[in-house]
Amino acid sequence: MGKNRKPIQIVILLGVLLLGGYAIGKTLFASDDGRPAVGKAAPDFTLLDLNGQTHQLADYKGKAVVVNFWGSFCPPCVTEMPEFQRMYDKYKDKSFEVLAINLSEDDLTVNNFVGERSLTYPILRDANRVIERKYGLSQYPTTFFVKPDGTIMDIFVGGMSEQDIDSRVDQLLQS
Amino acid sequence: MFQNTKCECGHQNPPDTLLCESCGKPLVESDEPLEMRYDGVARRSQKRNPNPLDRVWNFFSSVRIAVIIIIITLVGASLGTIYPQGNNAEYYKEAYGWSGELYHKIGLSSMYDSWWFVGLLVMIGTSLVICSLDRVLPLYRALNKQQIRKHLQFITRQKTSYVGAIEGDAEQWVQSFGNHLKRRRYKVHINGTALLAEKNRFSRWGPYINHIGLIILLLALLARTIPHWTEENTIAVRDGETVQVAGTDYYVKNDKFTVEYYNETELPDRLKQQQRPKLYETHAVMYECVSSCDEPGIEPELKEVKQYEITVNHPMNYKGVKLYQIGYDDEPLLQSVKPVIEDVKTGQKYGPFDLPMKNPKTSFEVGPYSLELKANYMEFALNDEGSPVTKSRDPKAPAFIFIVKGPGLDENGEPYMYFPLEKDKERFSQDKINQAIASKIQIRVDGMDNVKFSSYTSYLLIRVDRALPFVWVGLGICMLGLLMGAYWHHRRIWLRIDDGTLSLGAHTNKNHFGMRSETTWALEQMGITVESDKLDNGGYNS
Repeated sequence: MGKNRKPIQIVILLGVLLLGGYAIGKTLFASDDGRPAVGKAAPDFTLLDLNGQTHQLADYKGKAVVVNFWGSFCPPCVTEMPEFQRMYDKYKDKSFEVLAINLSEDDLTVNNFVGERSLTYPILRDANRVIERKYGLSQYPTTFFVKPDGTIMDIFVGGMSEQDIDSRVDQLLQS
Repeated sequence: MFQNTKCECGHQNPPDTLLCESCGKPLVESDEPLEMRYDGVARRSQKRNPNPLDRVWNFFSSVRIAVIIIIITLVGASLGTIYPQGNNAEYYKEAYGWSGELYHKIGLSSMYDSWWFVGLLVMIGTSLVICSLDRVLPLYRALNKQQIRKHLQFITRQKTSYVGAIEGDAEQWVQSFGNHLKRRRYKVHINGTALLAEKNRFSRWGPYINHIGLIILLLALLARTIPHWTEENTIAVRDGETVQVAGTDYYVKNDKFTVEYYNETELPDRLKQQQRPKLYETHAVMYECVSSCDEPGIEPELKEVKQYEITVNHPMNYKGVKLYQIGYDDEPLLQSVKPVIEDVKTGQKYGPFDLPMKNPKTSFEVGPYSLELKANYMEFALNDEGSPVTKSRDPKAPAFIFIVKGPGLDENGEPYMYFPLEKDKERFSQDKINQAIASKIQIRVDGMDNVKFSSYTSYLLIRVDRALPFVWVGLGICMLGLLMGAYWHHRRIWLRIDDGTLSLGAHTNKNHFGMRSETTWALEQMGITVESDKLDNGGYNS
């Protein structure tokens, strides 16, 4: 023996240090339940808008993005949509985008709803509640403010007033 | 302190060796039976002038330290069972008062995830590896190259030993003694007038195999913290519906859901007149997505992989993805209707046409009529301003607005509001809303055959645990090692004949009684009758 003893000792102790460090580190830092949270990266999605155009969140890196989940069946969602339209018009020239994800309703409902309100920002169509689940939604509407680097700056649950949106978008554009 | 570690036979032993590695001469003076643990060899890491690395290594190499760590872990683990784990601060205060509050405050309410508890487990794992390695390698070497002719002291100081005179040719005696032992499945090695017989050596590896199993188990438990290795989600699947199994590429279809209720005679008096479910079952079909799995707007292509009847405690299991039945909901939802159009004046019926609640077509040609679907509502209601809205996205009170063209109707079409459910039709007074057109045509369902309901929602718990196979493998190896070490005994007999005097020593790692009786039996075959107890050298473990 003797000859290989030291390398073996070093390898085993390093292994222990790595695995043990990982195990203990897991307990010290907030457990990651996969749900989006402030400061974490916004989960990616690829969805179609009403014109059949593909939108992938990752493609908007470098832009400030507001991801809003809405449904025609949710009155506060309906109320806040014109506010988003105003915001969209106001910051159109800036590096800013609104992505409004519908909560898996059917074609006719969404088309009628958007048509009546002449909304021009991208309305994306989730199907079978997949993206909604990915974002861990429990209440509607919920709005995610995503910084240009792809991390979540703020999550707002409930209907938002113009001021609520304005202050957050300002902050978002500064980051 | 300098210790001379050279044996009289000329072999140089490492420090802390108890029995010479070569001839077996005890290196520590005593009259007690020999300490035979690890065959008296030194632990692998023992050396003079340890450096810091060696010191860490030696710490974990100590069984005494290992036992202390295990005791601390056990005490810690038992603290975690005083009150339920994983609740919030208010719960402990309300349910258990000040002691509960304290319990939560010092972190015992989530102690199995605490840094110190995991730290203890890591230390146990480290100690398992290092303790085993430090002992199994020297032991392997010692057992692999055993000398047949041992030092006389080594033989006579065994726990089982015999010294006596024999007659006749010594070599022949040894040969024939060896043959008797072979009948007892001993492996016999002879060197002139010395003999070594051994059996079941493999049982000595039992504890180390057991430790390998435990290490795999600990690693598997650690692997469960890797993202996506363990997942738990609940999904709701209506009968007839196909839903993606969250977190996987699988889809599950609730082909049919059935509930069986207890009948009156099966229920005690106080529960009579109540509907009590006896058995509920989801006839599930599992699909795997083969293409277009993640492309928006395109239906994924599915391939059936398994069918199973899921009941409580009988989950569907496909490649580590388990679906458990956890509940159901019996609120019926309309899925589709096949209404007809009736010309009120003539009584002539046209149709039926297919109208699903979700994503219906937007134009229909039915007999002489053409219908344009203008709007649909899943749960129809009127808001404060009197405009139609939907209250949810589930077809609880569906409503449709058609523009109908046809004989006797305005050529630009006339609006017609249609409530498929009879109760909604009355509640929202369909005929009143439709006014004039209601006296010309009626859209209605002809018979219950043309109505399709989904009666139940089945709630399934999805559990993915990719580490589970490794847990089982670890436990299996652990059990195998335990059996090997516990069921079989390693037995050895040494003897040498010097000038007509037989010296015999025998050693086993457990059941010395059995070792003695086997030795007595062997001696008896050679015509030496000795009482089993007389072979006992005293000392520990008698």
